[in-house]
Amino acid sequence: MEKKKTYVEDIERTLYDIRNEDRSSYKVEQGLTEQIIRDIAAKKHDPQWMLDFRLGSLQEYYRQSLPEWGPDLSELNMDQIVTYVQPDAKMAGRWEDVPEDIKDTFDRLGIPEAEQTSLAGVGAQYDSEVVYHSIQEDLVKQGVIYTDMETALREHEAIVREHFMQLVPPKDHKFAALHGAVWSGGSFVYVPEGVKVEIPLQSYFRLNAAGAGQFEHTLIILEKNSSLHFIEGCSAPKYNVTNLHAGCVELFVGEGARLRYSTIENWSRNMMNLNTKRAIVEKNGIIEWVSGSFGSHVSMLYPCSVLHGENARCEFTGVTFASKGQNLDTGASVIHAAPYTSANISTRTISKSGGQATYRSAVKVTEKAHHAKCSVNCESLMLDDISRSDTLPAMDIQGDEADIGHEATIGRISDEAVFYLMSRGISEDEAKAMIVRGFVEPIAKELPLEYAVEMNNLVNIELEGAMG
Amino acid sequence: MAEKIFSKIPMATWRWLGVNNATAEEELLAVADTRSFKIPAGTDKEAVVVIRQEQYGKIQVKLGENSRLKLTYVQLADTDKDYAGEIEIQLSDGAQLEMAAVEAGGKKAVSKVLVNLAGNSSRADVSVLYLGDKQRVLDMNYVMVQSGKKCEAKLEVYGALLDKAEKIFRGTLDFKRGAKGAAGQEKEQVVVLSSQVRNRSVPLMLSGESEVDGHHAVSIGKIDEAKLYYLMSRGLEMAEAKKLVVEAAFAPVMSRITDTELQGELQHYIKERLSDA
Amino acid sequence: MSTNLLAIKNLHAIVAGSNAQENNSQQEVKEILHGIDLNIGQGEVHVILGPNGSGKSTLMNVIMGHPSYEVTEGSIELEGEDIKELPVYQRSRKGIFLSFQNPEEIPGITVENLLRTAKQAVTGKPVKLMKFRKELENTMTELQIDKSYGQRYVNVGFSGGEKKRNEILQLLMLQPKLALLDETDSGLDVDAVQIVSQGIQKFHNENNACLIITHNTRILEQLQVDKVHVLLQGKIVAEGGQELIDKINSQGFGFLQNEQE
Repeated sequence: MEKKKTYVEDIERTLYDIRNEDRSSYKVEQGLTEQIIRDIAAKKHDPQWMLDFRLGSLQEYYRQSLPEWGPDLSELNMDQIVTYVQPDAKMAGRWEDVPEDIKDTFDRLGIPEAEQTSLAGVGAQYDSEVVYHSIQEDLVKQGVIYTDMETALREHEAIVREHFMQLVPPKDHKFAALHGAVWSGGSFVYVPEGVKVEIPLQSYFRLNAAGAGQFEHTLIILEKNSSLHFIEGCSAPKYNVTNLHAGCVELFVGEGARLRYSTIENWSRNMMNLNTKRAIVEKNGIIEWVSGSFGSHVSMLYPCSVLHGENARCEFTGVTFASKGQNLDTGASVIHAAPYTSANISTRTISKSGGQATYRSAVKVTEKAHHAKCSVNCESLMLDDISRSDTLPAMDIQGDEADIGHEATIGRISDEAVFYLMSRGISEDEAKAMIVRGFVEPIAKELPLEYAVEMNNLVNIELEGAMG
Repeated sequence: MAEKIFSKIPMATWRWLGVNNATAEEELLAVADTRSFKIPAGTDKEAVVVIRQEQYGKIQVKLGENSRLKLTYVQLADTDKDYAGEIEIQLSDGAQLEMAAVEAGGKKAVSKVLVNLAGNSSRADVSVLYLGDKQRVLDMNYVMVQSGKKCEAKLEVYGALLDKAEKIFRGTLDFKRGAKGAAGQEKEQVVVLSSQVRNRSVPLMLSGESEVDGHHAVSIGKIDEAKLYYLMSRGLEMAEAKKLVVEAAFAPVMSRITDTELQGELQHYIKERLSDA
Repeated sequence: MSTNLLAIKNLHAIVAGSNAQENNSQQEVKEILHGIDLNIGQGEVHVILGPNGSGKSTLMNVIMGHPSYEVTEGSIELEGEDIKELPVYQRSRKGIFLSFQNPEEIPGITVENLLRTAKQAVTGKPVKLMKFRKELENTMTELQIDKSYGQRYVNVGFSGGEKKRNEILQLLMLQPKLALLDETDSGLDVDAVQIVSQGIQKFHNENNACLIITHNTRILEQLQVDKVHVLLQGKIVAEGGQELIDKINSQGFGFLQNEQE
């Protein structure tokens, strides 16, 4: 209990008020130079094409401006971007070689234990580098690859080259470009045709260095009729300087394949979490996103599903809990690009103690996607009147054969429901906590048990003493 | 000719959706026909505004305390010319607005409607009908600002899109901090009758107050086949049946237009536009 | 005479906040209960009758402690202790249970979860999971409720009969000293009436008591009603035995209203 509490301590506002107004491209260039990129590439023994890719992305990064919508990012000191970038941890191969303090951290987070009990494979990234990766023997025999991105780039270069940042091109936005230039670490998963990975694989990302950045790249490829559940966990200790996370997740779901991608994000509240996640789904394939956003100071996270093949499907379930000092702008987008594709988006957002939660989504149905079906449901709960909750969905539908439904509600905990529970002997605080837990239950039930428990704990910690 | 931003969505989103701003030609926005009126406290008024010739119409209304206004706004601007319409309505304590809006004319019609529920216990009940056909563009931005305590807003939108019509409907419920007990409801139903239509809907719900009850829903779909089948089994041709289904969809707004002459004209107008399709 | 369980003396209640300073001065203080006296002994069954709006449901909510009402005068004693200042959940822990007329829907909380949490809260002891499950299953069997019911969300998508069944299930599981049953709705279907009636029978014994609002004599058929109170415009205007129910069912409240004037 005690150590979890550290995550919910709120950071001192004053530290965020130190801003740097001047962000001309010249200065940015000063912060992040070609030389730094070349250094990173050399250190990582990148093949030439990757170096070229990084340099191309850097040019793109210079060209792009910060988004004109969404949360204020001015606290992110783009002049200091280099400090976010320079790797500060050393690579280690085997668990025994992982330095004691890092090993301790993962021990406390329960990662090795989870590996023994409920996971088919585990990866752990500490700051910029992956420090540990393992996978069950029988999966290896079936041709499943689960490794860190650097190793993948060495050992499976062709596959990586074919897919790397094809789904999220650097020109997409400034942070995608930054990622393309400075990416480091992350996981690579390849599941061959017909192989069903029954037990989840998990990667755990921990950012430890103060004022640093994490730019891990996750690339998952599911061949025809295969299946996988991948779990991503993120956390960081609290620091008084802004950390930056600009990861990128690219998921390729083959024909008839099924991928579940679960995330519980609990970054500390000095983190700018500007992550890009995208999946492309082929005929009869299914992508299922389960996304819990609890941490970070600012988040911009909208996993995107491109339903590329006929009958491809997307299920998105998300919960966002914004508390004091947090501006969490989350949601999802779906592109229906083929006939008979379908999507279900269901989200819950909670805001309290001055937190800002925004649900943002886009549903696009192209001309080709006749008989597309999409239903969106988002519910927002506000626990006090100093917080904000905004819902901003957009639908862009072409053609006359689409069936699109969207529904959203906003409100607070019903006094009558609280009274009902209290009349059953439950205290007011507990009654409210139960209602909030009930509110996020549709998401909790999609999570593996230990994560559902973790999420309930997070909700409880958030609510402790805050209501009544 | 230069385009100018005519209205902005209250909260911006991805640029690629193209819904953040509505633009109109600068020339069009040069001169506005402005009608502004006040409804004195405690009075009960009805107003009918029909747009036929104007290019840029502006309506400003202030509702005094406990006054009531029944406003019918019918935009039947020349379908070969662009049109820009602007409506701003402010409600004092206890004021009530009942509004029926028809957005049917113009080649490219942009409209922005701001209903400001500033007064406590004020109420606004707005029904909108839109019809897009040919290569027409409808670009609407309706904002209900809810700042009065216990104010109630209802925004119901019924639309039909034909041919190669393009439409954007932005509907916002904006609950301001302090609007305790406010309730807001927004609904948009679109019937799409052609595969070449582009239809964008952006229902926003913004809230800085927890003691509110907000709900919005959008449904976009093709014409109900069961209904068509039923009508055709009663001897109607497909085209006739479709017309009837669209007319039925518009009924909630049409029934609010109490001026029978205008209602008749409008019904005829809609029928004709549907027949052209 | 049995030991007194509930003693209500000269109870006045208003709509909460209706006399507050910040409120519009023109607005009258809305008093709903104008001096109620009511005593319920252990082992007794009491029935409250009254036309719509007479304050029956309000009385129950005031006993339970609904924050929408404010007691301005009088006392509510449970086993000699004045409970009128206690918050709802403490009244519940002291042994009061309200079966709601329209039970709230609470998404995300299962029936089992609610009962386990409530049981723990009411008994103040940790509930042993296996033992609790067994008890729950037994009670469900008694009430002819399917086991799967425990995993459904509280009242969400329940029919009227299912909601009633859920209330009675909670009554039997929590074993309060005083059960308040708000069966105001005369539109209860046959199924619901049956459930309530059987539930009360199963629950009631010499150590507890029931206060029931109902017009439906079928609910009361199998019960020994000790006392009937008639509430009119926030006052008890008549008291008697079973015969009063029959009289009102055949004549309505008219004769009482006339007496009032």
